[in-house]
Amino acid sequence: MVEATKKKKIIIDTDPGIDDAMAIFVALNSPEVEVIGLTTIFGNVYTTLATRNTLHLLEIAGRTDIPVVEGSHITYTKGTKLRVADFVHGTDGLGNQNFPPPLGKAIEKSAVNYLVEQANQYPGEVTVVALGPLTNIALAIEQDPDFAKKIGQIVLLGGAFFVNGNVNPASEANIFGDPDAADIVFTSGADVLAIGLNVTHQVIMSDDDRDKLVQSNGKFAQYISKILDIYYSYHHESYNTKGVYLHDPATIIAAVDPSLFTYTEGVVRVQTSGITRGATVFYNTVKRFMEETEWSGKPTVKVAVTVDAPAVLKLVMDRLINS
Amino acid sequence: MGESSCLGFPSKLDKIIIDTDPGVDDSMAILMAFQTPELDILGLTTIFGNVTTKDATRNALILCETAGRTDVPVAEGSLEPLKGGAPRICDFVHGSDGMGNLSLPSPKGKKDEKSAAEFLVDKISEFPGEVSILALGPLTNLALAVKSDASFASKVKRIVVLGGSFFASGNVNPAAEANIYGDPEAADVVFTSGANIDVVGINITTQCTLTDEDLSDLRESKGRHAQFLCDMCKFYRDWHVKSDGLCGIFLHDPVSFVALVRPDLFTYKKGVVRVETQGICVGHTLMDQGLKTWNSSNPWTGYSPISVAWTVDVDRVVSYIKDLLMKQ
Repeated sequence: MVEATKKKKIIIDTDPGIDDAMAIFVALNSPEVEVIGLTTIFGNVYTTLATRNTLHLLEIAGRTDIPVVEGSHITYTKGTKLRVADFVHGTDGLGNQNFPPPLGKAIEKSAVNYLVEQANQYPGEVTVVALGPLTNIALAIEQDPDFAKKIGQIVLLGGAFFVNGNVNPASEANIFGDPDAADIVFTSGADVLAIGLNVTHQVIMSDDDRDKLVQSNGKFAQYISKILDIYYSYHHESYNTKGVYLHDPATIIAAVDPSLFTYTEGVVRVQTSGITRGATVFYNTVKRFMEETEWSGKPTVKVAVTVDAPAVLKLVMDRLINS
Repeated sequence: MGESSCLGFPSKLDKIIIDTDPGVDDSMAILMAFQTPELDILGLTTIFGNVTTKDATRNALILCETAGRTDVPVAEGSLEPLKGGAPRICDFVHGSDGMGNLSLPSPKGKKDEKSAAEFLVDKISEFPGEVSILALGPLTNLALAVKSDASFASKVKRIVVLGGSFFASGNVNPAAEANIYGDPEAADVVFTSGANIDVVGINITTQCTLTDEDLSDLRESKGRHAQFLCDMCKFYRDWHVKSDGLCGIFLHDPVSFVALVRPDLFTYKKGVVRVETQGICVGHTLMDQGLKTWNSSNPWTGYSPISVAWTVDVDRVVSYIKDLLMKQ
């Protein structure tokens, strides 16, 4: 067993979301990490619903001891026209199951203040696992110039590196949700690890895997198998695949067991306007250009390149089933 | 070599127009075209890019004279990109004259009276469905032709474009390749015009190189233009050492010429390609691979797909280029 004191402290920034629910359960059932808090954001649903769903998921897990902190309702540039992916996750974000409202409440604090406070309380020790648009993280960087240095690592689900996006050919949903925030986070100098679609599209839960969840007695497996319908039908229709992509669970596993991925390092910038708004463009820092570019002199980040997909899937399945 | 069997053309000559900004590797491609008797070169049209448009015209005339083909018209193209303003010139890659600073004498010939766009429109109308265009620079002239003649896109037989970088980094910056960056608006017009387009990006062309050894083999060969091209290549080669640590040269334009005459040496994927015209990614080429059914319309929706070169038979393309450059 990993000693309690050695556990990696993580804060999950999340917009639940069906695969967010899976990721949260996997994290709660992973002895390698200690979930010290959850912050919420718009994305799969609006922020208010993300908060409600996060509280609900903690009640299902019997972990109401963990604080939930509500995040921004608008983008970094104060945009209010948000894109929410209710067609992927259902209008309630959790597969249209009409769950009762949670009993608990979010703590009286903004996600930004909470993130800054935790980074200061445990400098270098806290990993933020960001599963939605990066608004809260960008605001924390803006509020505290030392945040980027004090935060241990930011493991984020976002971007599409040298592949098509999933909102449109250029852009992945989390980055598209707040491209300005994403560009701030990528160029902040923090220890950032980006898990993009080029990697998460390799981690697929098949129809057979779903049957295994249904047949298991695991508490998390049982819950998840109830909310998966709409997520599966969306994937069948949009991708013609017999299975679903495990975007958020794969990202949690990158924090739990980084050895299941390989990475490259370089500068990532985000396009914030035009038809490719939300595109993530990587520079390997090896090629020399004649002119200064918008990538010149910016801090580098890690970008996941390969994944041991069977091992990640097994870990996700095990931790949902053995619960 | 047995040219007709090698090229796999029908006996009738294939009509082509080369739109170009010579340019060291443009010069190679143009002289390769002149060394290919199966091609009926209707003309060269010029554009800024490696040099200014006026220098491109001078260099194109020099190349026609070098090849002994002063019968081939050279039509001067646009001096600036569609949105106006001074074009970006790559003199640091090709030398201030565009031809490796060889200080060549001025050409005797004169440019055609027509503009490049007029020349393109006229020739395509004269021989509908018969003329292919090899576009080696920014796509301003082609965009002007598309805009001035609604039937241009459907009448042109095929356009082979050297441009873009597909799911790979650019060469002007991480987002953009030089030809597309030179006139992003024009590139977007051409790619979405509905014409039959094969685009060869630098993700393909940078796989095909001539090393220093290849260049010295070329110099020692009896190739009709080998000495001239090797002299021209010195400056260009030194840039590759600086930018990419390559002791040799990329064959961007020659590879695109091979894609024109030997498409069988490449594989292609079809998809809609759009070009970003704003922000830090201006000039970025983005192709919809068609792997997902989008649940709502997006800027790629409703346009005709084009063919994007996906893989290249590097050995056969490079030896095709070497053979043609060494041809007497």
